[in-house]
Amino acid sequence: MRNSFVVMFIAALFSNGCRSDVEAPPDEAAAPSPPTFTSSAPSTATPTVLTEGTSDADQLVGSSANDIILGLGGADSLSGGDGDDLLIGDGFALSPQTEEEANRFLQQATFGPDPDEINAMMGQSYEDWITAQFAVTPTLILPAMLAEFNGTTLQLTGEPGRPKYEAINAASDAQWLAMLAGEDQLRQRVAFALSQILVISHRVPNALADHQDMVAAYMDVLIDGAFGNYRDLLEEVTYSPAMAIYLTYLRNRPEDPDTGQMPDENYAREIMQLFSIGLIALNPDGTPKQAGGSGSAIEVYTNDDVTGLAKVFTGLSYDSSDFDDVVAFENFYRRLRMYEDFHSPAEKTFLGTVIPAGTSGAASIDLALDALIDHPNTAPFVSKQLIQRLVTSNPTPAYVARVSQAFRTGYYRTLLGTQFGDGRPGDMKATIAAILLDDEARDSVAADNPAFGRVREPIMRWVHWARAFEAPAFEPEKHYIMVDASAPSDLGQHPFKSPSVFNFFRPGYVAPGTESAAAGMVAPELQITNASSIVGYANVISLYALGRPQRFANFDPTSFVAPYTDQLAIANDIDALLDNLDLLLTHGTLSDETRDLIADFLNAAPYNSNDVQASNKLRVQLAVIAIMTSPDYLVQR
Amino acid sequence: MTTRRLFLKSSLATAGAASALSWLPHGRVLAADTSGYRALVCVFLVGGMDNFDTVIPYDTLSYDRYAEIRAPLLANYAAAGVTSRLRNNLRVLSPINSATFAGRQFALPAELSPIADLFDSGAAAIVGNVGPLVQEATRTELEADPTLLPPRLYSHNDQQSVWQSLEPEGSRFGWGGRFADTMNNAGANDIFAFSAITPGGNNVFLSGEGVQPYQVGSFESTTEHLLLSDTSPLNDQSKQAFRALIAANSRRLDNILERDVDAIQADALATNEAFSGAIANVADPLATDFPDTSIGRQLKTVADTINARSQLGASRQIFYVRQGGYDTHSSQARDLPRLHTQLAEGLAAFYQATQDMGVGLDVVTFTASDFGRTLAINGDGTDHGWGGHHFVIGDSVRGQRIYGTIPPADFDHALDDGGGRLIPSVSVQQYAGTMGSWFGLTSSERRGALPGSDNFAEETLTFL
Repeated sequence: MRNSFVVMFIAALFSNGCRSDVEAPPDEAAAPSPPTFTSSAPSTATPTVLTEGTSDADQLVGSSANDIILGLGGADSLSGGDGDDLLIGDGFALSPQTEEEANRFLQQATFGPDPDEINAMMGQSYEDWITAQFAVTPTLILPAMLAEFNGTTLQLTGEPGRPKYEAINAASDAQWLAMLAGEDQLRQRVAFALSQILVISHRVPNALADHQDMVAAYMDVLIDGAFGNYRDLLEEVTYSPAMAIYLTYLRNRPEDPDTGQMPDENYAREIMQLFSIGLIALNPDGTPKQAGGSGSAIEVYTNDDVTGLAKVFTGLSYDSSDFDDVVAFENFYRRLRMYEDFHSPAEKTFLGTVIPAGTSGAASIDLALDALIDHPNTAPFVSKQLIQRLVTSNPTPAYVARVSQAFRTGYYRTLLGTQFGDGRPGDMKATIAAILLDDEARDSVAADNPAFGRVREPIMRWVHWARAFEAPAFEPEKHYIMVDASAPSDLGQHPFKSPSVFNFFRPGYVAPGTESAAAGMVAPELQITNASSIVGYANVISLYALGRPQRFANFDPTSFVAPYTDQLAIANDIDALLDNLDLLLTHGTLSDETRDLIADFLNAAPYNSNDVQASNKLRVQLAVIAIMTSPDYLVQR
Repeated sequence: MTTRRLFLKSSLATAGAASALSWLPHGRVLAADTSGYRALVCVFLVGGMDNFDTVIPYDTLSYDRYAEIRAPLLANYAAAGVTSRLRNNLRVLSPINSATFAGRQFALPAELSPIADLFDSGAAAIVGNVGPLVQEATRTELEADPTLLPPRLYSHNDQQSVWQSLEPEGSRFGWGGRFADTMNNAGANDIFAFSAITPGGNNVFLSGEGVQPYQVGSFESTTEHLLLSDTSPLNDQSKQAFRALIAANSRRLDNILERDVDAIQADALATNEAFSGAIANVADPLATDFPDTSIGRQLKTVADTINARSQLGASRQIFYVRQGGYDTHSSQARDLPRLHTQLAEGLAAFYQATQDMGVGLDVVTFTASDFGRTLAINGDGTDHGWGGHHFVIGDSVRGQRIYGTIPPADFDHALDDGGGRLIPSVSVQQYAGTMGSWFGLTSSERRGALPGSDNFAEETLTFL
């Protein structure tokens, strides 16, 4: 018999989910606030963590109305409750109850699972899966590249200053393979998310395009650091040659009062605006603080802070023997060195921190990065963006607050008692666990909220296809779109090749003329979704699904051509085929209307009963295209 | 222009484009002028073009002071073998209103000679020191009251947004979109979607309440679904079924983002097909030569689209193109001359195209940028500034004049915000408002499209 208890779910009593505001009059600040989800529990409440024993009910004896219980599983466990219970949704189980749920989780935590990975997930809890992923050996980019290309061919060729043809995109090629085939899927997924916050780009004609060595070293900074600490990430990013070139502080010299020359301010501005504290003061739940009375946002740094911080990033150059020289190929990818003779000796003031005159460069950078990681903005600013990259574009403030707390305290403890993180602010394991194990990420009720979810990034749609259908992943250098997919007529996006440090899309992007905009939501990925790119993506996925990818000469015809073995076996039965693809691609969320339209389409498609094999193959290919261009698929929820 | 109206609009538009655009003044008596054909072309220089390295002081006193302050940069130019900033290689300007400048003279670097040619022939003007302003204010007033500063100054993405929409990032409507909305509302265009066209990628500039920026690549490339094309494995019947799938635009999807994506996809199909159909009917394609650069290709697309204006049923169009790379924190000596060359060649070719099409009086091209830059050097480049100098080109422009002001290339003057960053003399509202009036908006429509216009004594300038 179950005792009665009050169950309150942190994730809330959802209102109808969206405001029906009319568009704002022109002189009102247009910055949208998040949808009005109201939480039934205050976001500052500390959850009572109950460890799961043999009987749920026993553990809950004596719990009070103030307890907030995470992760109570399934409707069945709530039977026998009395009228005082607040039952909101089913809660979520600690392990996937269906293959759909397993797939849904893996689509948040990887680049998209194949059927074996979905099956393997069924036997374990979400946190065990995460723990196991934390232990998988990282797939790094640079070591293999150095092994394949000796130093000179990676950077130079017979043509002075140009990489050898095969090396010209080597970092990008290796990175695709890591995303497509790396066993360390969670790590690669998080590194990819970080690459859209801590942005560099080697898009032609950027200087980094000619330095695949530097680009690879930077990719490894993110891959290595994905399960480390954000403070360490900021430091390794600061000391990376790639970032120093990209944001122009390589060999940055101190101020010269005689000539009026000032240190380059680029990195100082962007490390604040984009990499740590953002532009406006935030509450711990990611909502903007408002200036008393006026309701307007508070800017969190001034131009004086930029010029003060710029002095910190002086004196860095290649790890060579000379500030102005490069003497060995390794200098290009090794951690930068601080040349104290070229570091600003002045007092450096920014954000209320004063670094005394004469402080060394290494110590100044330490103090500056400490100030940034400790700033109250950093936890919500970074946490919210990581949630947007993995789970949903418009997290509730309460969700952001919980993840932000994990980032800030460096700890996250689960219902089962697993503790992630080592207690240093900025701990990535704690933050990642907090994001993926949160009720709002796992709960099917949350997923049904009309404002939940994110538009899938074009890169991730294509990689998902390749992984789900086990297309052999090799020879990326022979594929047009893997050389540069960023044109709108292709995928409109390419890892590490955005047009600027602002990535392909902004976390705060509001899509004009859309329902999401009217509802006060942001939709970052819609910034690259338009009349050209939506067709470009459809055509890329069509070509690949049909087994006709555009390739350069002398290619292996099996590369990235999916066998569709499982699907071909059931292709005679359109319903069975759609069931299979719905599970694999949309984790069971394909709507009835879309499904009916696709069935009509497949029934109308050419089918020659004298060549069943070819006809079934075409049917499977068309079904894949139809689902992967449907809105049901294009939005991850 | 045909009388039949093809009304292609997103079913998710927050307001019917034909009525009740929320900011349009009510009870207006005068309507926008939709006669003839007019086009505005915004050339956005992404990153912040260095005003001090574009309109260069020429009279000896001013040049010498500029050369002294900018010595490290001029040394970089010398080291790179670039001589265009040497005084005797500069292309000096002879503005009709030179008397306003009391003996100061100005020049363009040689790479901008094509623009200097247009200036000399009266087809181009310079508008000096344009930038976002809340209201006219002196340096002292700004120091005393920081709330008079525009929001998020010096931040790229925010200033791009402020230039394009008068609000920082997150803004939903740009003034170009509002101009287009006004004209669509007044019946200027058969198909609203073709009033705001961008070869330059997504932007808030052309986002209106009824209109969205329509992305167009080169006329040679296709935005046709493979499965609907000639190389499709589908037959006609299944193509129809695929079309039904793409064009579904369903309200029965229960997720907001899904409905948005659905609408975007459905609209894309309809708009792309209408556009392709229209341009296929153009009898005499444009033959003007354009440089094969990014900006050259984009401007060619604009020209080709203007050439198709009657097939597109358009009498008022706004375009957006972009040229990236102006954020010259470093390597300015290597990068800026190349950018200038490409910009000038592109603009000259586009002007020629307007002549070839006989629409010289009907098209106004203008530059815009995130901001100007510091006068102070950081070694081999410059940092973010505020006011910047811009070009306006077209036969309707009262050219061969410098409007606004060109502050001294020096420190501590009345418009110095520090490091030589310029406090603007001309606001975005005044700059844009001048173009809006020419485009056909009434005064009240112009004020509605450009909030804050009435904070300035002269709401428009006289370059048009």
